[in-house]
Amino acid sequence: MRRLVAILKSLLYLFNREKFFKNLLVLPMQLLLNFLLLPPFAIVIYLAFVNWQPIFGSWTEAPFVGVNNFIRLFAEPRFYEALGRTFVIVIVAVAIEFMLGLALAVLFSRPFWGRRICTSVILYPMMLPWVVVGFTFYLLFLDHGPVNYVLSSLFGPSGMISWFRSPISAIVAIIIGDIWQWTPFMFLIFYSALGALPKDPKEAAMTLGASSWQIFRYITFPMIKPVVYVGLVIRALECFKIFDLVYIMTGGGPGVSTETLSLYIYRVAFKYGQLSYAAAVAIIVLLSIALVSRLAVRPLLKEVV
Amino acid sequence: MKRKNIAMTARPPVISAILWILHRLVVLLVVGVFLVPAVWLLSISFKPPTEWQVFPPTLIPRSPTLDNYIVLFKPEAPRGTAAAMLRVTEPVTKSFLNSLIVVPIATALSVTVGFLAAYAVARFRVGGAFMPFFVLTTRMFPPVAFAVPLLVYYRWLRLIDTPLGLILIYAGFTLAFSLWMTKGFIEGVPRHIEEAAILDGASPWRVLFTITLPIVKGGLAATTLFVFILNWTEFLYALIFTSTKTITVPVQLSHYVGAVGRFYGPQAALGVVASIPVVILGYMIQRYLVTGFSFGLIRR
Repeated sequence: MRRLVAILKSLLYLFNREKFFKNLLVLPMQLLLNFLLLPPFAIVIYLAFVNWQPIFGSWTEAPFVGVNNFIRLFAEPRFYEALGRTFVIVIVAVAIEFMLGLALAVLFSRPFWGRRICTSVILYPMMLPWVVVGFTFYLLFLDHGPVNYVLSSLFGPSGMISWFRSPISAIVAIIIGDIWQWTPFMFLIFYSALGALPKDPKEAAMTLGASSWQIFRYITFPMIKPVVYVGLVIRALECFKIFDLVYIMTGGGPGVSTETLSLYIYRVAFKYGQLSYAAAVAIIVLLSIALVSRLAVRPLLKEVV
Repeated sequence: MKRKNIAMTARPPVISAILWILHRLVVLLVVGVFLVPAVWLLSISFKPPTEWQVFPPTLIPRSPTLDNYIVLFKPEAPRGTAAAMLRVTEPVTKSFLNSLIVVPIATALSVTVGFLAAYAVARFRVGGAFMPFFVLTTRMFPPVAFAVPLLVYYRWLRLIDTPLGLILIYAGFTLAFSLWMTKGFIEGVPRHIEEAAILDGASPWRVLFTITLPIVKGGLAATTLFVFILNWTEFLYALIFTSTKTITVPVQLSHYVGAVGRFYGPQAALGVVASIPVVILGYMIQRYLVTGFSFGLIRR
């Protein structure tokens, strides 16, 4: 009995030691992430160097093909097109979201009656399921939908556009959906950053006779710059993953002309079942994002945290 | 308000008044533009099939109906000529049940695991600078790139189309948010409070659960609701890793898109029903939305 107590006591001592304590705290996270990431990591590398599709039978017996999947990838125009299209969407959407968000934040930065309620109202798009946003904008841009109605009453019947029949207008519709959903995020970042700024520098500049543009350009903007950087990086990385909107609104069509990178991988892997080739694409994407996030996100963590 | 800026006083009052009106008009316009899509979705959800595609479109349904909502839960309910157009293949009850099982469990798991790890990272720098960064990167990658090997892995584990499989994925891939958000809240707790307790002889477990945890309770609640929203709205993993038994609400919504003779009305109704809970939760944590979406990098 006494020995048991002694053992329990030493166990308790161990249990409370700082080293044991802190490692036990991260253990669940490590288990979960290792379960989800490690075996798939091995599988993705294996898959990329063999030729396997689910209809071929067991994946363990697939033939080794070396770097063929990567060779095919680098020669595949559809991949480059999807990649380029994704970059265009990211650049256009994030740039517009940034400018609109900043403009709105400046517009709302001066107190006025009903400001709080207006601020709250325009926040709701970012809480909505992406699928719902996609479907809503699909409805808005239908041939007989409200957008075409407005266009036709402005420019006559010739102003109507079959939005989802041509790639460019379909992508414009997708970008507008993304802008609608995520401008509130940019707005909220800048709005709270502007609200938290000290008043003194601004007033000093004002007494010295600076114009409002000069104040914004040389005082306000430099002060909110770190926040601007965080917002842009996060939004760009999120937007790069764009899938739901495209899947719902165009499904990548007509043909493959609105495919983004995510949709391309999705179709290749889960529609055509070419998991090996998709694994090669996934590896390239993972490597490039890892590089980008090292270059762009690491300094961001140092700056803000 | 008294010391309205000096530059403004230099302006003639007429121009100030015009600017004032202009400012209000632009604000109203902006609010209107942001409301239009949701109003349109609501409008479609109350329209009978004959009005879904009518041109010119009307904002207010001419003969408003609740059929779109009823048909979601009772596919056989509507009677009359419109019934055939309204009949949905399957009721959405199942997908709601699935979402209501998977999402809360995954959220609880994610926040619990994330909070414990965040405490170790914030207080003891476990894993150095690399570990939190690594967790963050899991969120930077396009989920579809993870999904490729995960599909093979899940087939081997027989986890496809099971709630458990989806719960693990959801918990794992929202861990970045849980870890970073709660880390921010923990770092906001002054260290000396914990140190005082340790000097009094409290064990580290006791410090964590009776001192730190109550202080960051509010932050944890915000994190939980935020992660809940993320999981509720998640689409891609659910699309790939569920087929019949475990489909979630967003997947159910997408099913109607490809269906023959598009079910705009019921789909819009489902969109409304699926959005209401997350919009309510979103407004409850409005203050923390930016913190959440920026992984706690932007506080305030």
